[in-house]
Amino acid sequence: MVFPNRLTIIYAALLLFAVALLAQAAKLQIIEGERWTEKARALHFDNDTVPAPRGPILDASGNVLVDSHELVHLDIAPKEIRDTQKAATLLRAAHVAPALIQRAVDPQVKWVSLPDLFVASDITALASLAGVHAKTILQRDFATTGGIRRIVGRVGPDGRPLDGIELAMDAVLRGDSTREHRAVDVRGRRMDSPEGWISAPHPGASVTLTINETLQEICERALARASDSLQAEGGDIVVMNPVTGEILAMASRRSNPLAVANTAVSEPFEPGSTLKPFIAAALLERGRARTDEVIETFNGQTVIEGRLITDEHKAAQLTLSQVIQYSSNIGIVRFSQRLSPREKYETLRDFGLGTATGVPLPAESDGTLREPFRWNRTSGSSIVMGYEVTVTPLQLVAAYSAIANGGELMEPHLVKEIRSAEGDLIYRARPRAIRRVISESTARDVRQMLLQVVESGTATRADLATYLLGGKSGTARRTEQGKGYVVGNYTASFVGLFPADRPQYVVLVKIDSPRHAYFGGEIAAPVTKVVLRAALAARNAALDRAQLATAERVRLPGSVDTLAQAGEVAAAPPEAVEEAEVATEEQRTARGPVVVSLPFVAHPRAVDQTERPVPDVSGLTLRDAVRALHQSGFRVRLIPQRGSATLPAAGMPLAAGSIVKLQHLQ
Amino acid sequence: MAKRRVAVRGRWIVAAVLIGFVITTAAVVARRSYGDQVAREMSGTDERLRELRNERVRLEGEIRDASSRARLVPIAESRLGMHLPAEDQVVILPRQARRGGIP
Repeated sequence: MVFPNRLTIIYAALLLFAVALLAQAAKLQIIEGERWTEKARALHFDNDTVPAPRGPILDASGNVLVDSHELVHLDIAPKEIRDTQKAATLLRAAHVAPALIQRAVDPQVKWVSLPDLFVASDITALASLAGVHAKTILQRDFATTGGIRRIVGRVGPDGRPLDGIELAMDAVLRGDSTREHRAVDVRGRRMDSPEGWISAPHPGASVTLTINETLQEICERALARASDSLQAEGGDIVVMNPVTGEILAMASRRSNPLAVANTAVSEPFEPGSTLKPFIAAALLERGRARTDEVIETFNGQTVIEGRLITDEHKAAQLTLSQVIQYSSNIGIVRFSQRLSPREKYETLRDFGLGTATGVPLPAESDGTLREPFRWNRTSGSSIVMGYEVTVTPLQLVAAYSAIANGGELMEPHLVKEIRSAEGDLIYRARPRAIRRVISESTARDVRQMLLQVVESGTATRADLATYLLGGKSGTARRTEQGKGYVVGNYTASFVGLFPADRPQYVVLVKIDSPRHAYFGGEIAAPVTKVVLRAALAARNAALDRAQLATAERVRLPGSVDTLAQAGEVAAAPPEAVEEAEVATEEQRTARGPVVVSLPFVAHPRAVDQTERPVPDVSGLTLRDAVRALHQSGFRVRLIPQRGSATLPAAGMPLAAGSIVKLQHLQ
Repeated sequence: MAKRRVAVRGRWIVAAVLIGFVITTAAVVARRSYGDQVAREMSGTDERLRELRNERVRLEGEIRDASSRARLVPIAESRLGMHLPAEDQVVILPRQARRGGIP
């Protein structure tokens, strides 16, 4: 037997060792390669989710209402800090509270989380210190008006939407998050490496609302002033374009600071007399009454179906038009007896009551409209007076829009368009008529009634000096839990159509539980006037000024020549002119802000509706003709026809305040 | 003599291989260092870009806030004594047709 020499043994041992190494390497690289690669990746790289910035929400003019931006949250590990002096100086520069700075540099403390969020560029030096751990947080930056938050909603600290448009449109606003793959060192700190990667997250789409920021601010300001001066529990203002169904402004306010919901869609109320025009429309539409048909109103007090019903405006008899003008409870109940319960119910249902409008806002209420088989003996009369039925402010505005636009119930919408982050159009809202509720002629008749409400009815305080405004006031008792209707607790409301001939706005002002005064015509109507005045003075408040320039207007007689160029216009009766002149003079000399101070002292305007003959103006100049008609107590509408005749003709008896058409072309 | 010449040539080959290895390694290290440096610069630039974008959003928000009606109207009323015009002080002129042109 030959034993190998020592050199051979060493060679063999080395060879075996090499083979073992190769085998182990092959095992690690080939057989278990994937597992070890994964382990190595996990050690060398850090994967994280990068949230996409939420898309902005814009107003109808493209102004940003809410946008996302990054802020930095800082956590400090005091034990890891090397230069405590420098850390303390930088923390002071970042306006951190002294008590927190003391803890942040105390080596006995393990971890300090700073409650404030910082702008990254303000804390670059601080964030680069050892022991300071920065975390980026996406935050929503709101527009200036606080009330807009009730519409756009809020986003929680974790980036999840809580309410409003943020919640309803989350699918398009949130965008697509992505993953980040960054190399880390042995201590787990991130380091830049060509092997790391981060794909850019896809930002969310932008949502453009129909809200006009200027008008929204005007409404919020008017509501705040009214609520404060009336010591009201709160209120709502909604402005809608009756032709398109676009919601232009939606302001809400509650004395309880925790009430942050959009109450214009979530909190229904009993509308009171603002419901009467719908009953009048039903009567006209079905041919059950005429606008000039007279009914007994028993000097403002009578018993109907065993129930005492009273009127504020005491009259022996009123026409249907005057029932709306003076908001007669007796009149509307007596007229409504010509409608069956089913017809009343169907009328209100067709105007959209009892059904949510479908705007993309969470918690929208349906309101309450019970079917006739659930009514009791007095429900029929209660409902026509605006009780036993509840509506949201938005529902009421949408229903009045049907009267304003000629009879079609338009679908209210809040989202105008949606565009991707790249600017591509994803969705654009189009006006959509839900149904025709009343005919155009009925709508015109009801608008004429609403015009009289403001001209000489219960809401003269909304009357504008230059433009005709239609509207209806409402005053309804409020209920309290367990107490039923409470004495002295009211909802005062007013719905206005501006301008009256071709409305561009339907404005609802609702004041909850006002003190001192409570009639809708006294306190809600003036707020409408404040809103309209400010909107007319604003540069961009979603008004079609070209149309306004030719709208039917009340004017001073001295400016007839210029008006003749404007086409069909109307002139004010002398008393309205005087009021306008006095108001203008006061405003011109006033040094302070010109706003309507609330509560208003009632100055009831004497209503002189006695009939008188139309004066003969043939042969007079246009200016003198208009002046003569004004002096006779008529309003004037110029019609572009040759001649100087009037319609009705000279000598015909006509009620004071009626419109006389006057030909004005020579 | 011939054996010695072969040994010298072998050493040159080993040296050349070693030099090649060193050069290749140096190139790989240099490339990696360059890559790291570029990655750092890109990361820094990205960070700066994000900061600037945030700064822009913040400043736009501040401009919006400062130029909004909610901020300006109270100041105009209290400091300058201005007031909103009454509706009859606002005159909207009808658009006139252009002479000889399309109305």
